[in-house]
Amino acid sequence: MIQVDNITKQFKKVVKQPGIIGSVKSLFNPKSEIITAVDNVSFDVQEGEVLGFIGPNGAGKSTVIKMLTGILTPTSGKCTINGKIPQKDRKNYVKEIGVVFGQRTQLWWDLPLVETYSVLKEIYEVPDAQFKKRMDFLNEVLDLQAFIKSPVRTLSLGQRMRADIAASLLHSPKVLFLDEPTIGLDVVVKDNIRKAIAKINNEEKTTVILTTHDLSDIELLCKRIVMIDKGKNVFDGNLSELKSKYGQMRELCFETDNIEDVKSKLQYASRFNATSDDVIVNNDGANVSVKFNSDKIAVADILGYTLQEVHITDINVKDADVEEIIRRLYKEGVTENE
Amino acid sequence: MSKFLKMYTPFTRAGIQMSMAYRFNFFCFLLGEIFKCFIMFFVWQAVFASSDSETFMGFSMVDMTVYLFITFLAGYLTYSEGTYAVGEEIRDGSIAMRMIKPVSFDMTFLFQELGNKIMVTLVVLVPICVGVELYKYFVTGSFMFNLLTFTMFLFSVVIAYLISFYFNVCYGFMAFFLKNLWGANILKEVIVDFLSGATIPLAFMPQLMRDILTFMPFSSLSYTPVMIYMGMYSIEKSLGLIALQLFWLAAFWLLSKAIWRAAVKRLAVQGG
Repeated sequence: MIQVDNITKQFKKVVKQPGIIGSVKSLFNPKSEIITAVDNVSFDVQEGEVLGFIGPNGAGKSTVIKMLTGILTPTSGKCTINGKIPQKDRKNYVKEIGVVFGQRTQLWWDLPLVETYSVLKEIYEVPDAQFKKRMDFLNEVLDLQAFIKSPVRTLSLGQRMRADIAASLLHSPKVLFLDEPTIGLDVVVKDNIRKAIAKINNEEKTTVILTTHDLSDIELLCKRIVMIDKGKNVFDGNLSELKSKYGQMRELCFETDNIEDVKSKLQYASRFNATSDDVIVNNDGANVSVKFNSDKIAVADILGYTLQEVHITDINVKDADVEEIIRRLYKEGVTENE
Repeated sequence: MSKFLKMYTPFTRAGIQMSMAYRFNFFCFLLGEIFKCFIMFFVWQAVFASSDSETFMGFSMVDMTVYLFITFLAGYLTYSEGTYAVGEEIRDGSIAMRMIKPVSFDMTFLFQELGNKIMVTLVVLVPICVGVELYKYFVTGSFMFNLLTFTMFLFSVVIAYLISFYFNVCYGFMAFFLKNLWGANILKEVIVDFLSGATIPLAFMPQLMRDILTFMPFSSLSYTPVMIYMGMYSIEKSLGLIALQLFWLAAFWLLSKAIWRAAVKRLAVQGG
């Protein structure tokens, strides 16, 4: 459905020197430098797939999305969506896609929400009967009824986001691009939006590309993940691959009746000769959590050592969660590891 | 064609609703502009009072008054926010939201603004024209309204608006390179007001300058329709100038298309 071949995007950026003198200098003699926002990124997406597209801030996620939606033209490389090149014949191409940029809105700010939908109906040439059916469906999934007659500027962020997603789906697109659709939303709204996306993907086999910083989005929605960092593709695979590739971090949780013993007797770092990144100890009252790198420290060893040193009332070992993996990856900068 | 209208008329409807939403703004602006008109009226009255002859450069005080108010009317009808709208969307990156829709970029702006123009026409055109004609009647004692010149005036004003729109869109595209247009826009408005004869009638300028400015696109924006309204031109000359207007409309339309095509390739959406 979507093929992305070695796309690269470079921007020219005017470099401003600091201070007032610098500002005056750059007014008369502007210096610019080339910034490579996206560097040879390739991946492809099957029809009906939900792809999680992740990476730290400034990694180039949005730039890729903008190229895929035809807003930006790649400096080099090619992307094809449903057999079409976005930059060629833009008007025809965008009929088949829906786009939501979480930080912008496609709704008419000063008009009642329902007016936006009737404008979109004409733009996409949706027949009356189908429009009605579609609105009923979107209403049911995204629960728009309560605010559909209110001017968009009076909507809360959660309402606006639901309305925006509905707007992007009105014409039943084949591909849906969601750029941070859950940004700034509370847990309940996030959950509703995830359910809606899952439902639409399920019922209509809509291909979805989703960028997010919220890893629960990824865990609940995406079977596959593409991760980029500093404009480069660093990981492409499913969630369990991500976990096995980067997920050496596991967590040992236990409860003790003698917290003083834990602090004085347990010296993981020196016992296993590990760095402070490989073993992290936290405690909340009697509950102790030890995050450790299972590549460097065997589970049996750390378990044996802990049981031997302190008296424990309850114990378990948890798998790494995605959040932790990503946190480590972002922190270390994945590109160096590759 | 009907498909085309069906696709873009919702923008006009939205434009009407939006100008209704900001009607206080609209009336304040209107009031301010009318004040400006009256200030100019008193300035010219002083000029005529201090002059020995009844006419000044071929304009009587009545002509001057009609000129002031019809220039105001034409300015209001042909005013386009294209520069601001296009520039602002480029500056804050929301132009991206137009590009993900299967519509022509310029048409969405045009039809949206037409909604506002319909409102302006209803509120401003009839009162000003009636006012001006009544004034002429009371001062000169004769009724001189001519349906043919009025029709030509309307036609000329519509073309003038479209020229103004595309001129402003072209100018707004400069935001692709400048990123912020506020200063450039003010400069443009002052220069255009002068060159289009909206500040001082082109008839008051030296012959050579007048000839150059008559051919340049700016006189098509305001001076041509105003002179047609005032009956200063013969029918042949009016039609000739309307043809010139059409030429400039085509020129700016093509220019805007060319800039758009070139600019999209190097578009850098700012923010987010």
